[in-house]
Amino acid sequence: MSGGSARSLAKGSAPPGPVPEGLIRVYSMRFCPFAQRTLLVLKAKGIRHEIININLKNKPEWFFKKNPFGLVPVLENSQGQLIYDSAITCEYLDEEYPGKKLLPDDPYEKACQKMVFELFSKVPSLVTSFLRRQNEEDCYGLKEELWKELSKLEEVLTNKKTTFFGGNSLSMIDYLIWPWFEWLEVLELNDCVDHTPKLKLWMAAMREDPAVSALLTEPKALRGFFNLYLQNSPEACDYGL
Amino acid sequence: MRFCPYAHRTRLVLRAKGIRHEVININLRNKPEWYYTKHPFGQIPVLENSKCQLIYESVIACEYLDDAYPGRKLYPYDPYERARQKMLLELFCKILGYQNTIFFGGDCISMIDYLFWPWFERLDVYGIADCLNHTPALRLWTAAMKQDPTVCALLIDKNIFLGFLNLYFQNNPDAFDYGLTC
Repeated sequence: MSGGSARSLAKGSAPPGPVPEGLIRVYSMRFCPFAQRTLLVLKAKGIRHEIININLKNKPEWFFKKNPFGLVPVLENSQGQLIYDSAITCEYLDEEYPGKKLLPDDPYEKACQKMVFELFSKVPSLVTSFLRRQNEEDCYGLKEELWKELSKLEEVLTNKKTTFFGGNSLSMIDYLIWPWFEWLEVLELNDCVDHTPKLKLWMAAMREDPAVSALLTEPKALRGFFNLYLQNSPEACDYGL
Repeated sequence: MRFCPYAHRTRLVLRAKGIRHEVININLRNKPEWYYTKHPFGQIPVLENSKCQLIYESVIACEYLDDAYPGRKLYPYDPYERARQKMLLELFCKILGYQNTIFFGGDCISMIDYLFWPWFERLDVYGIADCLNHTPALRLWTAAMKQDPTVCALLIDKNIFLGFLNLYFQNNPDAFDYGLTC
């Protein structure tokens, strides 16, 4: 498994060759929470993969052939099949590869995970808005909205009476929502979970998971990335390398 | 609700798979108070089974039905083909979401509106009525399009079009000339 700490490919770079047999390739970016979902699933299922990082502030022209939307993550296999949209990549990996199933077999339990995923859906853009906030008034409003969304998740854990969102062991839905919770500390939003004790406990339990802890980003590096990213610097994606 | 395209999805899957079901229509402008115990925001469609399990969001409900019930599988078995279908759905939702002005290109009709229109005009002819709540933007767009002189001038007559379709599906070569008087 290689490439996680490799410099990103940018405009003018040569397109990569075909994916070798027995490997799956993920086009990623070291600080992208959406791509982190896919990396978590690859790790959790022990799937042999290679990572190509993309400079999202200076995208290679060939990357639009991989995903017309030009976004990461994208999966490419040795048959040249391309899969994009982070949630779709995660579900594809779970279906295609053997080993521990991250999505439940039971249709209702699977539907429940997808309904929780919908409940979570406003969080990523709220967190991004918070990152881009201009002043302290924005800050309070955004925090309030975030509290509201996080309370919905707290309610799920309260009703289910389990540690994780899919039951007493970690499963797909936990990995899908985790990356933004990792950002909370760096963005100084930890107080948003002060009123959601079960969510706080869940966060601690998540950090114990081998896949999660293997892919934890150093807060200093994340902060460095944010600074450069907000300035639209083409160096942002390679911060710390 | 009989005219909601999202609920329509679920009814299509129920029918395609031959699943025995009952339908309770909800008045979306005047919702019963009890309906909020089925869906926190009172949206449709919602599935409820005999175990009192509730499933909502049209796409989630449709996948649940495909997983839970035997018979013909609507999603393909191959993981890549399944992923492809989901990627196509994302594209479709993006189209619906790209609208934040009356027309797809802005406040005036432009190329993209003409490029989309023929398919929507046919849907209109088939008689799929608008949903009151979910796609007001699309309903406004259809109405606005019908006021465009170009679109108006080329509107297909519903009966002639249905006549054509009828003959076409019978592989009748006269289909293409249906409605011409000489």
